[in-house]
Amino acid sequence: MLVDAPYIPPSVFGLEEKTSPEPEKSGPALGRRLATLALRGGSLAVFAGVLVFFSIAAPFFLTVGNIGNVLGQSAIAGVLAIGLTIVVIAGGSNVVTGGIDLSLAANMGLSAAVYATLAQAGQGDAVAILGALGTGLAIGAVNAAAVTLAGIVPLLATLAVMNVVAGLELVLTQNTVVPASGEFLSTLSASGPFGVPVLAYVLLGFTLVVAAIVQYTPLGLRLYAVGEYPDAARAAGLPVRSFVAGSFLASGLCGGFAGILSVSYLSGSTTGAGEMLLPVVVTALLGVVFSRRLVPTITGTLLSALFVGFLINGFQLLNISSTLVSGVQGLLILLVVSATTLLCREAV
Amino acid sequence: MTDERTAGVNRRNLLKLTAVAGVVAGAGLLPARSASAAGELSLKGKRIGISATGTDHFFDLQAYNAQIEEVKRLGGEPIAVDAGRNDGKLVSQLQTLIAQKPDAIVQLLGTLSVIDPWLKKAREADIPVLTIDVGSVNSLNNATSDNWGIGKDLALQLVSDIGGEGNIVVFNGFYGVTPCAIRYDQLVNVVKYFPKVQIIQPELRDVIPNTVQDAFTQITAILAKYPEKGSIKAIWSAWDIPQLGATQALTAAGRTEIKTYGVDGSPEVLQLVADPNSPAAADVAQQPAELGRVAIQNVARYLAGETLPRETYVPALLANKQTVGEVSKKLGIG
Repeated sequence: MLVDAPYIPPSVFGLEEKTSPEPEKSGPALGRRLATLALRGGSLAVFAGVLVFFSIAAPFFLTVGNIGNVLGQSAIAGVLAIGLTIVVIAGGSNVVTGGIDLSLAANMGLSAAVYATLAQAGQGDAVAILGALGTGLAIGAVNAAAVTLAGIVPLLATLAVMNVVAGLELVLTQNTVVPASGEFLSTLSASGPFGVPVLAYVLLGFTLVVAAIVQYTPLGLRLYAVGEYPDAARAAGLPVRSFVAGSFLASGLCGGFAGILSVSYLSGSTTGAGEMLLPVVVTALLGVVFSRRLVPTITGTLLSALFVGFLINGFQLLNISSTLVSGVQGLLILLVVSATTLLCREAV
Repeated sequence: MTDERTAGVNRRNLLKLTAVAGVVAGAGLLPARSASAAGELSLKGKRIGISATGTDHFFDLQAYNAQIEEVKRLGGEPIAVDAGRNDGKLVSQLQTLIAQKPDAIVQLLGTLSVIDPWLKKAREADIPVLTIDVGSVNSLNNATSDNWGIGKDLALQLVSDIGGEGNIVVFNGFYGVTPCAIRYDQLVNVVKYFPKVQIIQPELRDVIPNTVQDAFTQITAILAKYPEKGSIKAIWSAWDIPQLGATQALTAAGRTEIKTYGVDGSPEVLQLVADPNSPAAADVAQQPAELGRVAIQNVARYLAGETLPRETYVPALLANKQTVGEVSKKLGIG
C-alpha cells in the first residue's frame, strides 16, 4: 500500500496544473490510470509481502494443509462478503447512499438456527437445506421490497431488517446453542482431497460460479451499469429496480448458504452471528483494491477475505496476539478509502 | 533385669526416636514432596497449545495467564490463543493449533457441541488434549472444580437462607455448558426435597454479551410481575455475572429482601457479598489460577509417562456473608 503513496500526489498536482490552462485529456486519465495501477499493484504487493513474510517467519505457513485451513476458515465470511459485493455492485459503491446489506450476518445466524432446529426436529438434510436457503431468500425479499418498493435507503432498510432477523433468531433458539449433526454436515466439515477441508473447495467453487456470472456474462455487465450509471442504464432500457431487487435476493441466498456452512463448521447453530457483520463489510470494502479498476469484484472480495484469513492465521503461527489483526485491518481500510477518495476527486 | 531395662529404655528411646523422626519426616515430607514434584516436572522443549474460549471474565483471564506462566516456568513454549468468545474464531484457532502439531493442547471452557469434533480431530492427530472445566470424552484429563459440590453447596445455602420455602427465580441460559448444567441439576436435586420451594416458570435465560444489563432488565421486569415483598425469595444463576445484574436490579428497586446466588468468585460480586446491606448472599468461588496451573502440571505428568485421572478436582470456596473475607484473601483479591 505504501508503494503507491508517492504516485498519487504527482498526478493530483498534474491535474491542478493542467486542467485550467490547457485541457489535455491524456494527462488526468494517465495519472488516474497510474494511480490505480499503483494502488492495485501496491495492494497485491502488500498481500504477497505478507505471505512471503509469514512463509519465512513461520515455516509451517506455506504448507498445503495450512493454506487449505485458511481457505476453509474464510469460507463463511467469504460467502457473506461475496453476497454483499453483489449488492454493492448493483447499488453503487457510495457507502451511505449506495448498495449495502447490513442484514447479512444476522441472516446467516437465523438461517443456521433454522437449519439446526429442523435437524434437531428430526428432519432430513434436504428439508434443512431448503429451510436455510428459503430463510435467506425470504430475508433478501424483505430487503428488496423495503429498498425498491418502499424506497428506503439500503443502509437504513437493511439495518432495520437486521434487527428483526436477529430478534427472530433469539426467539427461535432462545439464545442457546442448538447442536446439529448429520451425514451432510460431517461431509462438509471433513477434509477433502490433499487433506484440504471441504469448506475450502466450497469457497473456491462458489466464488468461481458467482464470478463467472458477475464478471463474464451480459447479466453481470448490466449489474455494473445499474450500479455505476443508473440514469444511463435506465435510458438504455434496463430495469434498474429489478436488478437492485435481484441483488438483494442474491445476497439473501448467500446468507442462507453461509448459514449452512456455519452449521457444519460449528456443529450446530450458535449465538453471536451479529459479530460477523463488520468483518464482512470490511472484507467487501477491502476487496475493491484487489480489482483492476478499483471497483467491487467477486475475485477481489475473495482475495480480500483470504488476506484477512492469512493475517489471522499468520499471527497465530507467529504467536502474536490476534487482537492486532483488527488494527491492521482498520489501517488497511483507512488507506483504501482515502486512496479511492483521492482518485475519485481527481476523476471529477 | 539390666538387659530388660536397657532393652526397655532402648525400646522407649526407640519409640521416642521414631516419633521424633516421624514428626521430622512428616514436617519435611509435605514441602519435600511438592518441591520434588515441581522439580521433576518439566516441559523443556515442549510446545503447549493453550486455547481459551475468551479472556473477558475474571475466571478465564486468571486461568489463561496462569497456564502461560506455568508453561514458561516449566521451561516450555506456550502457544496461547484467545477466541474472544466467538465460536467461529474458536474453531479456527483449534484447527490451526492442530495443524501446528504442538506437544499437547489445553482447552479452557467452550460449548461442548462446538469444540468436541475438533478435540476429536486433535486426538486423531495424536495430540494429547486436556481440558479445563469442559468434560469431553476426547480429553485425557479435565481440571475442574467439583461442580457437583459447588451446585450442592450453593443450593443448600440458598434453601437454608430462605428457610426452606418460597419462590426462586433461576437463570438457565447455558444448560449446554457442562459446569452450568451440573450446577443447575444439583439445584433441582436439592429443591426436589423441599416441596415448598418453587422455581418460577418460565426460567430466565442469561445471555452473552451484555450479561449484566440483560439480567438487570429481566429482573426489573420480573419484580414488576411479583410486586409483593416475599413473593420472590431468591435469585439463582449458574455463574455470577447475571447475579451481578440481578443484585443491582434488586438494589435499584428497593427489593433487598430477595437474596442472590451465583458461582465463580468474580471480585465485583465478592465485594457485594461482603457488603452487609447488599442482597448478594453467596458466591461459590473457584480457584481459576490454580485450575490453570494444575492443568499444565498434568500435561507435564502425562508427557513424562504418568497416567492421568479422568478429572482433577480443585476445591471451590463458598463465600457467604460470614466467610467472604477469608475467601477473598485466599484468592488474592482485595
